[in-house]
Amino acid sequence: MSSAFADIAFGGLFQGSLYAMMAVGLALVWTTIGVFNFSHGVLMMLGAYVAWQLIEIGLPAWAAFPLAIVAMGGVGWLLQASVVRPLIGRPNIVLVVVITTLAAGSLIENGALTVWGPRSKQLPSLIAGNTTIGGVGVSLHQIAIIVITPVILGALWLFLNRTRLGLAMRAVAQNEDASHLVGLNVTALYGLAFGIAASLAGLAGIFIGGYRFMSPVMGSDPLLKALIVVVFGGISSVSGPIFAAYLIGFFEAACNYYFGLYWTPTLLFAVLILILMVRPEGIFASRSRGLA
Amino acid sequence: MSNPILSIEGVTAGYGRVTVLRDITLEAGRFGNVGLFGPNGHGKTTLLRVVSGLLKPQSGRVVFDGVDIAGESARSIVARGLIHVPQGNRLFPDLSIGDCMALGAFSPHARPHEEENREKVVKLFPKLAERWRQKVRTLSGGERQMVSIGTALMSHPRLLILDEPTLGLAPKIKDELCASVLEISRGGVPLIVVEQDIEFLLELSQQLYLIDHGAVSTEIKPGEKSLGHEEIMSMYFGH
Repeated sequence: MSSAFADIAFGGLFQGSLYAMMAVGLALVWTTIGVFNFSHGVLMMLGAYVAWQLIEIGLPAWAAFPLAIVAMGGVGWLLQASVVRPLIGRPNIVLVVVITTLAAGSLIENGALTVWGPRSKQLPSLIAGNTTIGGVGVSLHQIAIIVITPVILGALWLFLNRTRLGLAMRAVAQNEDASHLVGLNVTALYGLAFGIAASLAGLAGIFIGGYRFMSPVMGSDPLLKALIVVVFGGISSVSGPIFAAYLIGFFEAACNYYFGLYWTPTLLFAVLILILMVRPEGIFASRSRGLA
Repeated sequence: MSNPILSIEGVTAGYGRVTVLRDITLEAGRFGNVGLFGPNGHGKTTLLRVVSGLLKPQSGRVVFDGVDIAGESARSIVARGLIHVPQGNRLFPDLSIGDCMALGAFSPHARPHEEENREKVVKLFPKLAERWRQKVRTLSGGERQMVSIGTALMSHPRLLILDEPTLGLAPKIKDELCASVLEISRGGVPLIVVEQDIEFLLELSQQLYLIDHGAVSTEIKPGEKSLGHEEIMSMYFGH
């Protein structure tokens, strides 16, 4: 019994952390700019490959990982400037940006294939080694993910809620015209939101690359998961998807334990569909868009 | 008589292929406050959007304090101290009053005056001080309008534009708000006000423009004509 508890608790925390890290950037872009970034999964892949490349040229992991995350911020900013910003103000921006970000994602994915080839690679773990908790064998890499994720999400919360720049980002999320009229640099704030989202995607990629094999198409499954988490949690806030990520993580862990791996996706989707029939705005959503 | 702080010279503007303003010319600040009135849908709000940089004019000049600001970004126009309170009070529903005031002081020119402006706002709208941490969405219509105006005051205005500040407010709240707006004007900030409440507009402004079909159809300067409710109503509804 105690083993069941440890299994589900650990599995839930691990999957939940991973989902939260995948989804939070997607939610950040939606809440500030009001578009879905369909290249989010590709950005996770690119983050992992950039980190891998930096290690390949001889940097130690502790330098390569932060550097890759910063570089991804720049990539996100560039992506925003090239395929999102020119479209802002168009009435059909949501659909158009789905297409432009998908296209950009496809380009990046094929670029990665050309540059790094199809052969699977792996990143070093955040921390090497294994341990046992409550009779369950776990890797220290997984423990690191469980610890780092809440710290990063907490830092993001502090940034959004306790700094002037974060306040400006929350304002842009709520009313673009009024943001212009108090003198906010709306385009720069959009760029910042996209940059932070891409950095968070890069970190998620580094998490994934440390325990699974990397390939140029490794981002498509996490993108799908992130979309599910964001829709389920409510696309109107950043905190909703974070709670949803952990909830889904624990649900999956419990299903895995009691019903087996094959039933988990079916059960998850059944529950999601039922919940979205009752609360189409998502379980943690309020009616308006906003960062909190 | 002083120089106009704002003059709009032959501005044409619109949305897409629809032209709303046709070669409109007017000036503000020479005789005190300016009131704009006229039927809905004839370009008053569009004119204000051009002045504050939310909408780029197709042609014409907008001269604020001697500089042509037509086509400048809204951000740099705010930094010049030209502050626009838009119609309606859908500011930032999920921010607190305190957050809104901090945002109002976001522009670098306003930041050094943040403390002093906050005191002004609190003095003008003591109700806001009581609810400083409350979210805007939970406030009444009148309180939200106070937040809108307060946020604009935090931006350290040299010219304040109010677009229908009393729209949809109950009479008692309206009177309170009108008194506050008069108080702001007495404090030395010139105003441009769009308003449907003619009594309020007459009390507030020294110079009036009737905007009709995207242009000025009548200008009333002080001493030129006697301003009365009757005349204005007849301008509104035609002859």
